[in-house]
Amino acid sequence: MTESSSNGRRNENDETSAAVNRRDPILQFLDKIRPSGDAMEDDNEGEESPTELNAINSAGGFVIVSPDKLSVKYTNANLHGYDVGVAQANKPAPFKCLTYYFEILVKDAGAKGKVAIGFTKEGFIMRRQPGWEVNSCGYHGDDGNIYLGKGTGEAFGPTYTTGDTVGGGINYASQEFFFTKNGALVGKIPKDIKGHLFPTVAVHSQNEEVSVNFGKQKFVFDVKGYETSARNKQQMAIEKIFIPPNIGYGLVKSYLLHYGYEETLNAFNLATKTTVPPILIAQENAIDEDDLHQRKTLRKLVRNGDIDAALANLQDWYPQIVQDDKSVVCFLLHCQRFIEFVRVGKLAEGVKYGRLELAKFVGLTEFQDIIEDCFALLVYPKPVESPVGYFLEDSQRELVADAVNAAILSNKKDACHLHSHLEMLLRQLTVCCLERRSMNGDQGETFRLHHVLKQYKKMKLD
Amino acid sequence: MATSKKVITRDEWEKKLNAVKLRKEDMNTLVMNFLVTEGFVEAADKFQRESGTKPEIDLATITDRMAVKKAVQNGNVEDAIEKVNDLNPEILDTNPELFFHLQQQRLIELIRQGKTEEALEFAQEELAPRGEENQAFLQELEKTVALLVFEDASNCPVKDLLDISHRLKTASEVNAAILTSQSHEKDPKLPSLLKMLIWAQNQLDEKAVYPHINDLSTGQLKTPSE
Repeated sequence: MTESSSNGRRNENDETSAAVNRRDPILQFLDKIRPSGDAMEDDNEGEESPTELNAINSAGGFVIVSPDKLSVKYTNANLHGYDVGVAQANKPAPFKCLTYYFEILVKDAGAKGKVAIGFTKEGFIMRRQPGWEVNSCGYHGDDGNIYLGKGTGEAFGPTYTTGDTVGGGINYASQEFFFTKNGALVGKIPKDIKGHLFPTVAVHSQNEEVSVNFGKQKFVFDVKGYETSARNKQQMAIEKIFIPPNIGYGLVKSYLLHYGYEETLNAFNLATKTTVPPILIAQENAIDEDDLHQRKTLRKLVRNGDIDAALANLQDWYPQIVQDDKSVVCFLLHCQRFIEFVRVGKLAEGVKYGRLELAKFVGLTEFQDIIEDCFALLVYPKPVESPVGYFLEDSQRELVADAVNAAILSNKKDACHLHSHLEMLLRQLTVCCLERRSMNGDQGETFRLHHVLKQYKKMKLD
Repeated sequence: MATSKKVITRDEWEKKLNAVKLRKEDMNTLVMNFLVTEGFVEAADKFQRESGTKPEIDLATITDRMAVKKAVQNGNVEDAIEKVNDLNPEILDTNPELFFHLQQQRLIELIRQGKTEEALEFAQEELAPRGEENQAFLQELEKTVALLVFEDASNCPVKDLLDISHRLKTASEVNAAILTSQSHEKDPKLPSLLKMLIWAQNQLDEKAVYPHINDLSTGQLKTPSE
């Protein structure tokens, strides 16, 4: 992407084309071209995780955080409830994932074994045990109780002492805390605290010493296995749901019809009729098939890079679509024509064509940055390897073909056919998952088709 | 009762739907996965050409897999076993249950054809030794041989074994085993995603009121009745 497009010079005084004013449904294809779309895709990656204890924030006099910032020791003798040695992690637990988990090893239970592990908020009073104050939670070693925002605990699990490894985790899907001891799950409790939570350890009697593992070392508890079983549990609940048999066939069929994959559709139709037993596909075709062949032909031409022929055919078959020479479809086709010139190294002709057909779009807000990116192809000796190389990828042709197809479909009298049935279902699924997640304070994994499709490949690699 | 639920209007919902970034390549991949897993080799081949989507496995393996499946569906079990072994001998070696089910199907076909002597010989030589190793196999074997007791199999309590659906069941079992041997999931992803949509809507129902898709085949949004 060129610099000019990344700082997206847009201001209200820019001229806006007729297409925008009419809310051209094909407008969305411009966004699909812009490479910035993909950056958002991975917004749940790159979330920072805790790496060490926060030495500054910990309660100075009572606790010593070791130089590696991964262990704490209580050196004084404890006197009262307000001289607990507490240390939080340097960062809150990441939450755009299924679970967060960390472990502590009790190196020395000291005089009284008042070790605790838990989660606290940023403003936690650093002289109190996690769990004693509101918006905190802690599993205490001396009594094995769980403390949830008050001074009295509830029976929860076993006590723990010198030599024990204890883990604390958050399951964002079920909105629960869970704790482990020496690799075994102790229990789970509902998480009623909203917002960022910091992994927290506490020591509160002389010579108590605890080291923390934020994942640098292998965990004693099989947290991967825990995640897998949590996923499987959900997957099993999903698999139990009944859907009408063979519904997938109908959706695939209408998808092929929608996008004008005529040859695939014919092969598919033939095959479903001859299988044993024959597959009955409910006919729910909102799109009539009469112009399937035209749409298929145009798609093929665009995919082959023969934009001149595509434009000529459009002019013949659907003059109304190319009537407005500043429409999005015209713009995309002219851009593609330019790109095809670049692909075969005919730069001079490309420039000539660009001046003739693309100049009229310069100054129109929604096209400007794309034109600039397109022309940036001219700058590089090897455009394929350049930052704007995506224009030369196969997917770019597919996108322009999709835009032409959408223009034809939306030009029909009956209802808007911008999306295939399959796409509408996938959009609904995505929004349902996003909404549910946003009601959980944006915690947990997001649904992304892309990730679902990659899942099996990942499983194979593991 | 539903007062605490968040209400999302159709307008708001549609805005959210339109804001979803879906990659065309991903939808194409999903469709290709369906064609490949369900064994539509011609369609997968055309789809690769028409959309530029790469199939996740070599399309030639689909042809082989479907040939095995078809052989079982047509009752040519011996042929099917040979084909599976040509494809990958490990499939049957590592899958005694599948191998037993194929042999059992072969026995059923012999009985269907009225070849009583051949059926008995086959049962004693090929299936009985396996029954000795495995109690469940033995029971299955006994059940199958019971087909011989009745002159008219339609009166037989285990007549289901002769039903075409039993062939289809065996065929889909062998189909799944071949897919697994090719490090491929045995089911297409699309039906799971549709189930997930129903599930996700059910989950969200607990917290919000919003437009639903009730009819999966049309994808029509239905605003909840006020």
